[in-house]
Amino acid sequence: MSDTEEQQHLLGDEDGEVSSMRPKNESGPGRPMSALADPSRLPHRIIVLVFMCFLGFGSYFCYDNPAALQTQVIQDMDLNTSMFMQLYAWYSWPNVVLCFLGGFLLDRVFGIRAGTIIFSLFVCAGQVIVAIGALSNKFWLMNVGRFVFGIGGESLAVAQNTYAVNWFKGKELNLVFGLQLSMARLGSTVNMNIMGWVYNRVAALVGSPGHTALGVSLMIAGATCVFSLSCALVLGFLDKRAERILNKESRGTGEVIKLTDVKDFPFPLWLIFFICVGYYVAVFPFIGLGQVFFIEKFNFSPAEARAINSVVYIISAPASPVLGFMVDKIGRNIIWVMCAVTATLMAHMMLAFTFWNPWIAMSLLGVSYSLLACALWPMVAFVVPEHQLGTAYGFMQSIQNLGLALISMGAGSILDVKGYLFLEVFFCACVCIALIAVVMLYFVNHLQGGELNLSASARAELHKASNPDSE
Amino acid sequence: MAEEMFFTIYFFAISLLLTVRVSSNLIDYSEIYQRNVSLELNPGLNSSLTSLPPGVGLLHARALGNNDTLHYLLCSLGAPALLLVHTNSKSSKVEVDWPAFLSTNASGSLRVTPENSVLYSNALVFTRLWEYSDTNDTGEPEHLPASSFFQPYELQNFTWRDMNNTLDPTAHTAMLCGGDGSENFSNGSFCLKFSAFDSVAREKSWPSLLHNANSSQVRVWLDGVTPRDNKSRFSLELQAVGDTQPMTRVNVLLSIDDEYTPSIFKVSQWVSLVNTTSPVLSYAQWKPVAYRKASPLFEDATPCHHSTPVTIAQRPPSGLVLAYFKGEPHTTGLNITFSIAGDPFYNTTNYLSWTVLIGLGSPPVDSFSPLVVAIMTVGLGTPLLIILVGSACVCVRKKRLQPQVYQPIN
Repeated sequence: MSDTEEQQHLLGDEDGEVSSMRPKNESGPGRPMSALADPSRLPHRIIVLVFMCFLGFGSYFCYDNPAALQTQVIQDMDLNTSMFMQLYAWYSWPNVVLCFLGGFLLDRVFGIRAGTIIFSLFVCAGQVIVAIGALSNKFWLMNVGRFVFGIGGESLAVAQNTYAVNWFKGKELNLVFGLQLSMARLGSTVNMNIMGWVYNRVAALVGSPGHTALGVSLMIAGATCVFSLSCALVLGFLDKRAERILNKESRGTGEVIKLTDVKDFPFPLWLIFFICVGYYVAVFPFIGLGQVFFIEKFNFSPAEARAINSVVYIISAPASPVLGFMVDKIGRNIIWVMCAVTATLMAHMMLAFTFWNPWIAMSLLGVSYSLLACALWPMVAFVVPEHQLGTAYGFMQSIQNLGLALISMGAGSILDVKGYLFLEVFFCACVCIALIAVVMLYFVNHLQGGELNLSASARAELHKASNPDSE
Repeated sequence: MAEEMFFTIYFFAISLLLTVRVSSNLIDYSEIYQRNVSLELNPGLNSSLTSLPPGVGLLHARALGNNDTLHYLLCSLGAPALLLVHTNSKSSKVEVDWPAFLSTNASGSLRVTPENSVLYSNALVFTRLWEYSDTNDTGEPEHLPASSFFQPYELQNFTWRDMNNTLDPTAHTAMLCGGDGSENFSNGSFCLKFSAFDSVAREKSWPSLLHNANSSQVRVWLDGVTPRDNKSRFSLELQAVGDTQPMTRVNVLLSIDDEYTPSIFKVSQWVSLVNTTSPVLSYAQWKPVAYRKASPLFEDATPCHHSTPVTIAQRPPSGLVLAYFKGEPHTTGLNITFSIAGDPFYNTTNYLSWTVLIGLGSPPVDSFSPLVVAIMTVGLGTPLLIILVGSACVCVRKKRLQPQVYQPIN
């Protein structure tokens, strides 16, 4: 308790003066607000934070529904693996474009509150369409559902970040980002471990496994989206209320996307893009296909396979904030990225070429995945000027989604024709591309005298005068 | 410091790959040699003197090596059987006393001469096709009551179509198809496709078993047979007959390489072993997978499993075995069960195929394809190369810059 108060004092000193003073001035001493109801006080912000965290829960929960129900989806809908992976590809396609547009739509068209609700509605509608597609045994309808779901999903993440910036900028922002990421991972983990059970119960209830059981299970999963939608509504209300009480203007995403900036991107940024694509395509499509891999190669039971498939997310939930803090304190981002990429390569090689207990490889993958996220994304801020940051991040996410869409489909086809060893070798090759890019980045940065690989203290010296909350 | 750590990890990764490559037991290149394969139907039969009963045929495949000969004999008299005889002579022959061979007292009517050149002989007989109703979808017929089983199809009672029409002398293959004449087989058949090989290769179609000049292959399939229950599954009974070293145990090996047989990480080998240290004399090798379509896709694979081999007192009902083996040969048998719990039943596709490799010496071992090796070499080699070149550049630059820094002091 004393801790939080102390923190509040410190934060108040930092930059909270305007916002924390205003309600007193406005409402006067005669109407003191309780801490829970006062938007300028920490207890209220914590309540807001809870809703903020659950805002993304539904979409993360449902994003990995196909991975959690891989065998069931393939059998009930009579698919092959490459068709199955289209469920992931269709999620990624809209985001190739929307990553540029999401911020713009939130800022200029819908506004943050309406935008969040609209995107939540898209997520809900998408999931319902997926479930109806399964119920009516129409696979194309499931793909349509995933497309609609994708429109909402990634943009909702942008909205979530914008809310976080609105409420926590200059205060506990990094911690909040970390917590939101943890919640996202929690959603994925819960999904991985609970959906098989849900399906079995539904199958027992319906009478037999089949597309009806699948549809009902997906509909039940959709409840999490409705829950997130209600969080969006509450958040909208709280934000509106705060705006009224504090008389503040809601801050936008701050993203200004100018496609023409792309031609000015420095060479190191392109290398960072390569790392991003090469790395993430070897993680997410792998998790999408992981369950059956663990069953077939390592003789895991379906429940065990789901558990190990979610271990990356489980590790990532607590590790992300810790590793983020560590990278912040130590600096030397390129070395961390190198370690993360190398560890991932080793993990994939273990899975490909050995029968070692896959928990080793998957744990390694989990830690390196968290480490990479903490070390890679902030690097962008060091190589492009601030006014291009929005474009750079939008572009990075966009090509990441493009890569994910293409590789998801490719990975399914490779598995269908060449089997798991070749698939793993393919993922190794993707990680190798990331490795090549990071090694080149190291030397390019070294030769150009860039600051990417400076220690945190050296960096701080370099930036003595500039603002402290560059991410 | 951190850089050093990275490089250590990197080299560890490479050495990991190398050790795995060594331990995965690549092709033993001494095994690569060619044989000259020729096929002959009903050797020594004078059709004017002896007329064959319908459906009976004896295929002789002769695989001539540098100083030895392998004789494969596929026969449809009684239960279909494949006999493998290894001789140390380049001129050994198969001699059949046809009238005796077709009679009830066939013993000794088929010989490989000169008889003292015979080093080893072994036969694999396809005796029965079991059908059972898997009501509870367990895929484990061993644990089912006898009432779940239908009357098995005795392959010795099947009528086989003429092998002559299916003989392919260039591809060294022949096909044996037949049925029991009942209604269930009116649109379907049970078939065996025999292939003899002259060198190391693998077939395109799954399971793409690696074969060599010392092996032959039998693909078995059950096409369009009417199952006697909606939840029917099938098992195939095999018997192995050997003079000296019978095939007594099945080893299941793990294989990290599923490139050629996607999603199958095991190889089963039914081997003849005198004791654990002596080399394997002959084998039947298969991957524990059957396919539910004639040109299967990934999802048409269905795992299969085998029962423990047991010794059988009487000889299998094969004319070839009765004619060739004298005295009391050793017989063992096992069942291959197709599909496991949860997999679709036979009636979804009305098709099942399973492939077994039968050969002499050590069974072939899968190795990584050149493509996999190339991808990993390039993938790991390129970053290493960049590290070396980059470090060299940085060092050179440092050296070149240093004098300029220190000169003004002088």
